[in-house]
Amino acid sequence: MAQVKRLQRRAFRARILLYRAAIFFVETRLLILNADPVFHDRALGLFDQIDGIETRIIRTLSDAITVLLAENFDGFVVEGDAPLAVEQATNARQHFPSLEIVCLVPPTNDERHSKVATQQNLKIIHAHASDRRLDYYLREFVRSLDRPSGTAAEGIDPCHSLIGNLNQFSAAEILQMSCLGQRSGRFTFKSGRGNSEIYLQQGSVRHAVFDRLEGEAAVAEIFRWRQGRFYFEEGIISQVQTVDRPWAHLLIDNLQKLDETLELVSV
Amino acid sequence: MRDKELETRLRYLTLQLDSWKKLHDFITYGLDKAKPIISAEQERQFTETRSQLLQETEFVLRELNLLAELSGKAMNVLQRASSIRGVRELPNEEIRRLEMEWNGVFTKLGVMQGQLKAQRKKLSGLSVWAYYFQRLIRRPAVAA
Repeated sequence: MAQVKRLQRRAFRARILLYRAAIFFVETRLLILNADPVFHDRALGLFDQIDGIETRIIRTLSDAITVLLAENFDGFVVEGDAPLAVEQATNARQHFPSLEIVCLVPPTNDERHSKVATQQNLKIIHAHASDRRLDYYLREFVRSLDRPSGTAAEGIDPCHSLIGNLNQFSAAEILQMSCLGQRSGRFTFKSGRGNSEIYLQQGSVRHAVFDRLEGEAAVAEIFRWRQGRFYFEEGIISQVQTVDRPWAHLLIDNLQKLDETLELVSV
Repeated sequence: MRDKELETRLRYLTLQLDSWKKLHDFITYGLDKAKPIISAEQERQFTETRSQLLQETEFVLRELNLLAELSGKAMNVLQRASSIRGVRELPNEEIRRLEMEWNGVFTKLGVMQGQLKAQRKKLSGLSVWAYYFQRLIRRPAVAA
C-alpha cells in the first residue's frame, strides 16, 4: 500500500514537472499597439522582463490588423490615451471576436470608456499605476493567456470524407462547396488559435463553436483563418442549434466583414 | 536570465530597423519608374515614417553608443529624402549617395542587432547566480 502511494506521489511530481516545462517552453505571443514606443515605453520595459513571452510592437492600427491577419497572437495590447485606445480596441474586436484584448490607458473619469470596454469584452489596465502594481497586472494578463492548445493535431482518419489545408482552400470555399452539395456532418478546423467545429445539416449551418464563441460569431472567426487544417465527418449532427440564417446570408455578411477588415489594412 | 538594459537596447534597435526598412520601401517605390503614381496617402505615410526617424534616431543612437558613427549619415538620408516625389527628382549622383548612406546606417544597425541577440542567447542559458558569479571572478584586479 505504501509503495503504491509512493509511486502515485512520484507520478504526481512528474506531472507537475512536465506541466512546468510546458509552460516554460510554450511562448505566449503578444502584439502591442503603441504609437510612440521609444519615448512611452514603461509598459514595454516591463513586458521585456516577463519570461516566456514574445512581443511584437506595432505603431498603427492598420499595421496591427495586417499582422493579426497574417499571424497568430495570444493577446493584443493597445496602449495610449483612453478614447483612442478604446476605439482602436473596439475596432479590432469587430474583426477578431475571440482575441484577448487589453487597453493600457491612463485613469479617466469618463465612464463611457469602461462601459464600452465591458460591452466589447476588453480588459482595462491603468497605465499610471506604480511599477510594481503595473508589473503585477501585466503578468496576470499574460498568465491568463496561457493555454494548453498549441499546434494542430495531425492524422488521417478513414471516417474523414474531406481533409485539407486552409492555406489552399479558405473556410468560405469549402463550406460553400459542402452547402451546395446538401451535406450533413461536422467540420473540424484545427489551427494554432485552437480547434473549432461547424455542424451542417442538409446544406445549411446548424451550429458552430470556437472556444467561448458560439453561432455566427464562431463562423465569423473561422472565416478569417488562413492557416490550419480541416476535416469533414459525414453524418455527425448537432442537437444544438445556434445558427438559424441561410448559408448565403452568412456568406455575404462575413465576406463583407472580411472586406472591411482588409479595407482597414489598406488605410 | 534577462538583462533589462540589453532587452531595452534590442527593442530600440528593432524599432529603428523597422523604420529604416519602411523608409527604404518608400525610396525604392519613388525610384521605380514603372510606378508613375505617387498618391497623397503614400506621401503621408512617408512623412510619418520620416518624422518618427527624425524624432527617435538621435536618442536611440546615443543609447546604443553609435551617435558619433551614424548620426551624420542618418541625418543626410533624412534630409535628402524629403518626399517620395523629391526622391524621384533627385539627380543620379545624389541617389547613389542616398542609397550608400542608407546602406551604411542599415548595415551597422543590423550587425549590432545580431551581436545583441547573441548576447541575449548567451544570457538565457545562465541563472542569475551564475551570471553574477562569472562577473565576480572575471573582474580585473586593479592596483591601488
